Amino acid sequence: MKHSKQTKESRMTEQTGLVERKKRKSPRKIFMRVLLYLAVLLILIIILGPYLWMVSGSFKTSLEIQAADVTRPGLEPRWIPRKFTLENYANVNKTVRMLDYFRNSIIISLGTMFFSVLISVTAAYALSRFNFKGKELFALGVASTQMFPGIAFLIPYFILFTFVNRYLGIQLRNTYPGMILTYTTFAIPFSILMLRNFLDTVPREIDEQAQIDGCSPFGALFRVIIPLSAPGIVAVGIYSFIMAWNEVLFAAILTGRETKTVAIGLLEYITQQQARWSGMMAACILVSIPVLLLFTFMQRQIVEGLVSGATKG
Amino acid sequence: MGTLSKAKREKRAYWFILPAVLCMLFVHFIPIIWGAYISLLDLDVFTLAQWTSAPFVGLGNFIRIFSGQFAVGQKYLRSIYTVIVYGLICIPVGYVIGLAVALLLNRNFVGRTLVRGLILLPYITPDSVAFNVWRFIFQARIGLVNKYLLKLGLIKEPLIWLVGDRALTAVIVASVWKGWPFACLILLAGLQGIPSELYEAAKIDGASPWQQFTQVTLPLLRPVTKTLLMLNVIWNFHAFNQFYILLGGSPGDAHVPSTFIMQEAFSNLHYGLGSAMAVCLMIVILILIAIYMRFKKGGVSYETF
Repeated sequence: MKHSKQTKESRMTEQTGLVERKKRKSPRKIFMRVLLYLAVLLILIIILGPYLWMVSGSFKTSLEIQAADVTRPGLEPRWIPRKFTLENYANVNKTVRMLDYFRNSIIISLGTMFFSVLISVTAAYALSRFNFKGKELFALGVASTQMFPGIAFLIPYFILFTFVNRYLGIQLRNTYPGMILTYTTFAIPFSILMLRNFLDTVPREIDEQAQIDGCSPFGALFRVIIPLSAPGIVAVGIYSFIMAWNEVLFAAILTGRETKTVAIGLLEYITQQQARWSGMMAACILVSIPVLLLFTFMQRQIVEGLVSGATKG
Repeated sequence: MGTLSKAKREKRAYWFILPAVLCMLFVHFIPIIWGAYISLLDLDVFTLAQWTSAPFVGLGNFIRIFSGQFAVGQKYLRSIYTVIVYGLICIPVGYVIGLAVALLLNRNFVGRTLVRGLILLPYITPDSVAFNVWRFIFQARIGLVNKYLLKLGLIKEPLIWLVGDRALTAVIVASVWKGWPFACLILLAGLQGIPSELYEAAKIDGASPWQQFTQVTLPLLRPVTKTLLMLNVIWNFHAFNQFYILLGGSPGDAHVPSTFIMQEAFSNLHYGLGSAMAVCLMIVILILIAIYMRFKKGGVSYETF
């Protein structure tokens, strides 16, 4: 009797222990979950904070921003505008010629996109389908351009422009063709490598068959390869567009009144005399929109292009 | 098809690469070589129109940089020091944040896909936009940073961030915000390449989560880490946009080589001296690339970027 009671007791304690352990485990799990979501929340706050500040700033009156003062409790800068206004968007072209800069950026970026796709698709085709002497050297040259800092060739490039103008009579500085040439060249190395990876996945038999059927290599490229690699080409085009849209260093030196791009134009909102932050925030949003839209449209391809090298052996 | 026609066919490839080669020659390679020559001239705005008559000064420009007797040289060396300090902070911090977030995003939770998309936001934002917004945030009297530092009682007076000693700190904060998603993206791809069996095997062997991290995750991320860090180190010396935009075009004491060379060449119009500085920068980068190639041979290739 006594013995069995003991075992019963011990069994009971065992059971409660089990229940307790289960109970103890689940709060811990819940705690970890909560911690996980808190961490995610923190990340989102850090990422989105500057964005929200930009959006909120773009709807504030310039008076509100100028009057703000962190040391005065009543005048602290606030997340929610005291008075909502759309005047920053309506007046985006008033003090800074932002619409002209948009036009310049669109022309230069579209030109860059067109030529970069054209030049890199043919070069990638050569790398993917031909075995020519100097192929390795060409591939190395393409990759190495990514390592040069812009400032290392900006000075001689600028002087080269001066001489082309002087001896050939062709003005490149502060012209659309000059900027398109510059940015096309910046865009093609990454474009070539990305498209080469893409073309390598298109079976060789397809274009070989086309050539047997009487196409020249050039014809095969345009009639067969380009239609088949449309997603890769679109991705490269978008990459080139964004690159030209965002570039700062060369635009700061080589563009002038007639060709200034949005990336440089934004700086004009702040002068020695006046800081037009609300106008600048509105312009910042307008400058971001094309980039964000294009990137979202082609996110998968561009991200794959970016990480492909890292995952490849 | 005979061998001759095949050889002919292969020769057509040259037509296909010709436009790309011409572009890269005109924009990259000829200027780089020419720049090395210009660095030996005393080329300024007066001699620019007649550059063949610009006085040949040999290594004179380099002596001005390194002799320590000229203010311009000291400022240039200081800019190299600044960019090194900048990189020594930005690269590890960006890497650690990127890795932590990548580990987090490698878990399952509601809304993971959305968060994965959102973390790319800083990375894809144009530099001109991101750093102008940070410039607004760092303003002394109307900025968010001072607002919260005052609120938390960490400071008593609003600090001036973008001029003087704190400028580098401000640039580092903004650059880390902009830069960590790239590291995160690459590391996340690396994490997804680790087979889950390895973790199961480690669990069976009784490894704690920390041991799993140090014994499985970190060693297997080493190739990705190596290439990521080497690329970051090389690109670090390209740093321009963050300093130029955030500090409003005149970084003052917080010059990095790119901004300083730009000022020397295009504001002070000393093209020869600027070129000499650019050549020094190239040499530093070439040394780093040589180290990178060494690393690359032993490990993974990362050709595109």
